[in-house]
Amino acid sequence: MSVEQNGVSRRTLIKGAALGGIGIAGGATVLSSCGSKASGPMSFGARTVDESPTKQLKGLVAAYEKKSGNKVTYNATESNAFQNNLSQYLQGTPDDAFQWMAGYRMQFFAEQGLLADLSDVWKDLDSQYDNSYKIASTGLDGKQYFVPQSWYPWGLHYRKSMVKELGLDPENIATFDDMLKMFDAMKKKGLVGFAAGDKGGWEAMGTFDIINARLNGYQFHVDLLAGREKWTDQRVIDVFKQWELLLPYTNKNVLDLEWDGAMQLLLQKKAGSTLMGSWFGGNFKEKSQEDYDDLWIVPFPEINPEHGVDTIDAPIDGFCVAANGANVEVGKDFIKFAGDKEGMQAMLDTGIPMTSANKNQDTSTYDAFQKQQLNVMSQAKYITQFLDRDTRPDFAGPVVGPAIQSWYKNPKDVNKIVDSLQAQWEALPEL
Amino acid sequence: MNSTAANKDTSKVSRRRAFSPQDRLTLGAFIGVPTALHLLLVWIPAIATIGLSFTYWTGIHISDIKWAGFANYHNIFFSTPVFWSALKDNVIWLAWFGLIATPLGVLLAYQIDRQIRGHAFFQTAYYIPVVLSLAVTGIIWNFMLRPDGFINGILGKDITNPISFFGDDRWNLYVILVMASWRHIGYIMLLYLAGLKAVDPALREAAALDGATEWETFRKIILPTMRPVNIIVLVITIIESLRAFDIVYIIYGTSGAQVPILGTLVFQNISGEGQSMKGAAYATILFILSIGPIIAYLRQSFKEDVK
Repeated sequence: MSVEQNGVSRRTLIKGAALGGIGIAGGATVLSSCGSKASGPMSFGARTVDESPTKQLKGLVAAYEKKSGNKVTYNATESNAFQNNLSQYLQGTPDDAFQWMAGYRMQFFAEQGLLADLSDVWKDLDSQYDNSYKIASTGLDGKQYFVPQSWYPWGLHYRKSMVKELGLDPENIATFDDMLKMFDAMKKKGLVGFAAGDKGGWEAMGTFDIINARLNGYQFHVDLLAGREKWTDQRVIDVFKQWELLLPYTNKNVLDLEWDGAMQLLLQKKAGSTLMGSWFGGNFKEKSQEDYDDLWIVPFPEINPEHGVDTIDAPIDGFCVAANGANVEVGKDFIKFAGDKEGMQAMLDTGIPMTSANKNQDTSTYDAFQKQQLNVMSQAKYITQFLDRDTRPDFAGPVVGPAIQSWYKNPKDVNKIVDSLQAQWEALPEL
Repeated sequence: MNSTAANKDTSKVSRRRAFSPQDRLTLGAFIGVPTALHLLLVWIPAIATIGLSFTYWTGIHISDIKWAGFANYHNIFFSTPVFWSALKDNVIWLAWFGLIATPLGVLLAYQIDRQIRGHAFFQTAYYIPVVLSLAVTGIIWNFMLRPDGFINGILGKDITNPISFFGDDRWNLYVILVMASWRHIGYIMLLYLAGLKAVDPALREAAALDGATEWETFRKIILPTMRPVNIIVLVITIIESLRAFDIVYIIYGTSGAQVPILGTLVFQNISGEGQSMKGAAYATILFILSIGPIIAYLRQSFKEDVK
């Protein structure tokens, strides 16, 4: 699911927010209008067991309990396990509200009638969100089933101090050549230039997304993922050829590391940069404030001037209400609170870095890294969700993931790999 | 043989005569309840899975089921290259277990049964891994072998250039096999040890008096007397090799694409959302592969018994 139609309006919005202009303007609490008639205990299912996001979500739950007087039971599940079992979970006795992803991943469950219709919640939230978020929260039937929490841009992350030490300007890594120059300097110092992990089979999809968008443009990328272009196209092969230029600067054990392994390389100053979503600010902060202040993000550099840096992967995470939940009304009330500026603020107040999806959010409390994330977003005209959210799930996980892994093992096999990708796409059953 | 058959017949007759209505009720419940549960929990889901493998279905609303004929199987055999790599890995797994792990377990059992020094210690040491579930085994080995794990730490390798135990496909299957064998060997050892304890020591003595070597005693006396245990060990080896899943899942997660095996393909296709019944088709293939050799072997050995 992508939000091309709304790219421009969202971009304008974020620019405005970054300037602090509309940040506080429309902010007089909207929640006051809807006295909480929904009451009773409920349960909330978190899709994480990590320290930082747990603290953040518990902050939200506590704020909601205080405001509504409803008792909330907090259930946490490790994110992969949660994802694998979601279908069974929603058909059984699910938590009333739970964490999920926007777009394709949400629409499937909405189609199956497993998610509660949130159109009435959106009547209250509408004024607080830009339309692109509403589109991403909307099912194929035109009703809303999702409330956004946060988003994170995928960009090139590095430590400002390390780049400065190399005698380069950390604010100005703008083209692919700039990046390679930086990598060369890092390599000379015995560092990994471009840290990568792909043991999970999904991490490197972000690299494919961005090189494809930079080289061939947004339109080709979405057409390819929707099956309107062929994987055997020379342009796809070119993506892998371009990617190959990064391999001399990449750690050799890509298939042995998960995303957090690549992050550790950067955290421990063994690597100079990595391409990832900015969700891991919390991990840097856990180490020390100094490490966090050093962390920086820029858009993945320009490759083809025709497309500049006009596209970015920026997946939206948020909440849904289960149709089979014990207390759907309270579940809705809870996620209305979560999506409201007030609930967002409760999460931000925990001190865990997050970029709120709410346009009324007061961004004046954002730190430099968060503001830079807004800045990175504002440079993009088109927003994509991520390969495994933008194409069929029975293609992304079982086919594209292993294909990229086998490319890492043997980049010379690129022709064979794209042939196999195309053949497997064509063999997919009609949905 | 004849006399036992005759005994069986007479006992059958006498038993039938002795059943009071109360006995019948009790026996009926003893047989009926487990049979019903077995049908409900094993056979009905198994047959339903086989049925579903011939359909397209998201797995949620019954009304959405669409007939697909052999399309899922066609897709697996002709359009999914990973199926063949998975099959290859399962065959290697089976060969490894059959030729290395299981014989090692038997050897250990034999040694311990011969009361070598410290046998009680070895018996416990080899058996401990069996108490742990494969999932726990996976976690323990993951701590040992991952890039920032114990072994790489001892060797002083840092996270940028560790020995890649799980990421290098020249040996990662064998790393997994060593992990799986760690547990399998203990299991086989225990089974075999129980069998060996039941072997009449007089047989061994007689063989020794006749001047048989240790190897001859084992091959010509012990092994044939252990026939029922041998069958169990063989069947377990086949089943364990084909249904392997946990360790790979723990190490590689859902995708498991670096060491594809049939078990992970089943899971990968049925978990998550929007997947077709391809997972059911994989499960059916796995079922046929496991049950085929086992039925063939059991039939063969029962035939020999009857002779």
